[in-house]
Amino acid sequence: MINIKDVHAHVETDDGDVEILKGISLDIPAGEVHAIMGPNGSGKSTLSYVLAGREDYEVTKGAIELDGEDLLELEPEERAAAGLFLAFQYPVEIPGVNMSTFLKTSINSIRKQRGEDELDALALLKLMKEKCKDLGISDEMMKRAVNVGFSGGEKKRNEVLQMAMLDPKFAVLDETDSGLDIDALKIVADGVNSMRSPDRSFLVITHYQRLLDYIKPDVVHVMAKGKIVKTGGPELALELEEKGYAEFIEEAA
Amino acid sequence: MGSQVKTMKPLNIDDLPTPKVEEWKYTNLGRALPANLAVAEQPEEIVIHKNRGEVCEQPEEIVFTSSDGQHTQPRLRIVLEEGAQLTLIERHDGTGAYWKNMVTEIEVGPNANLQHVRLQNDNNEAVQTNLVHIKTARDAVYNGFSLNMGGKLTRHEIHAEIQGENGEVSFNGINMLNGEQHADTTILIEHQAPHCQSNQFYRTLLDDKSHGVFQGKVHVHQAAQKTDGYQLSNALLLSPDAEMDTKPELEIYADDVKCSHGATTGQLDEDPLFYLRQRGLNEAQARMLLIQAFVDEVIEKVENEPVREDILEATHTWLQTALNS
Repeated sequence: MINIKDVHAHVETDDGDVEILKGISLDIPAGEVHAIMGPNGSGKSTLSYVLAGREDYEVTKGAIELDGEDLLELEPEERAAAGLFLAFQYPVEIPGVNMSTFLKTSINSIRKQRGEDELDALALLKLMKEKCKDLGISDEMMKRAVNVGFSGGEKKRNEVLQMAMLDPKFAVLDETDSGLDIDALKIVADGVNSMRSPDRSFLVITHYQRLLDYIKPDVVHVMAKGKIVKTGGPELALELEEKGYAEFIEEAA
Repeated sequence: MGSQVKTMKPLNIDDLPTPKVEEWKYTNLGRALPANLAVAEQPEEIVIHKNRGEVCEQPEEIVFTSSDGQHTQPRLRIVLEEGAQLTLIERHDGTGAYWKNMVTEIEVGPNANLQHVRLQNDNNEAVQTNLVHIKTARDAVYNGFSLNMGGKLTRHEIHAEIQGENGEVSFNGINMLNGEQHADTTILIEHQAPHCQSNQFYRTLLDDKSHGVFQGKVHVHQAAQKTDGYQLSNALLLSPDAEMDTKPELEIYADDVKCSHGATTGQLDEDPLFYLRQRGLNEAQARMLLIQAFVDEVIEKVENEPVREDILEATHTWLQTALNS
């Protein structure tokens, strides 16, 4: 499914050019859920941006392939059409663009790129209603501008809604648990779990073990200082919760 | 009472204001006026008068058209007596290079409601100066919207005197400028009575080498307690050569008021652009959607739906041309 090989990435900061990813390699086969855990500043969010193609990050070395297709050659929207979805850590507010216009434009842009027919208003509405119901999203929320005035929980649910509607092959969830109370966390996790399937993979980025109680990963990676420093089964997350990141950071140094 | 509102005389071609005058510091009128202007025969003042309690269900329209070489000085007078209601659409167009030097006087009577939509689409070689004087009585509502798209140089100068209690005055506008267009919006609101509200909400899109000016001043007199004054100007630069000058001012002599102002000038944010592209929109689509949303938020202030749809259409067409060139 997704193959990340020795990826190095730089970003321009006030202190000059900084290398954030220092040789990341990761393979997620179809149907698996992998989790990446790590302390602040380890490069987790950078990895998600690099996967999605944010222009501020320059990949200087390495390769990323989704089902054999070279993602680094593609624009962000082409990666979306290829089946990559990023649930943002901080979903962006877009004043003046209402949710239904946004979802319609998004879905049809992707369908168009894939050479599929655009969905008509009725089919879209039906799909939207169905997915909203699953996630406990009100009709009223669909009339508002994208993420404007949404609570933390509503923003994250909205990310999962978009994921459900766009039906990606590979989804990256960047700290989807942050800012969620336990009820919202369960709703979000149920939304993700219901999408697990043999031909879809997930990369779940998180600080905390808690999310992984609800979304059970097949593999857990520990990231520190721009590298994967340890890989293991779900038990690794529990170990981290107990011992903290200190020893892993030392290993990476 | 120390009102700063000046007498309503049109600008005089022999005595033009220069950028040395504070209120004209960003706008050089003399330099923009076409050469060899001939003073056209002055049309009679257009008067729109609605009697006490007269409620006009349908919008009324007036068109001001000029042609090449003309120096016209149209005068418009709108009077709404107590309880009258009107939606007025004022259109501007023309051909060639001309100077439309207009004076508008508006009186909104007690409990009257004027929805005033101004669609300025003068020729790109033309100069328009429009001095507007508005007086409102108690419980009056004036809701103004101005779409400025045309003209080589335009100046829309508004002096509002809120004279009666509990009135509400709004000035909303969109400037969409390209080429070497220059558009100046200068607003002075005099709060002279208590419990009144004033809103200014302007958004400016600047492409190519265009130049926008927004000067907005709220003057709260001592008697105008419980004033609620709001002002926001946002400008979006679509080109590195475009320029925006913004001068927000508050002058407050009452001690129990709420006034706020904000002004921003910048480019499109990267964050929403990336968010939309991650959701499958290409860069051009994402930019179009964000910029249309930027102007839509002002268009929402227009109450009449068919008029609002027309404005949406006009801005959409402008954007498609601007973003595809």
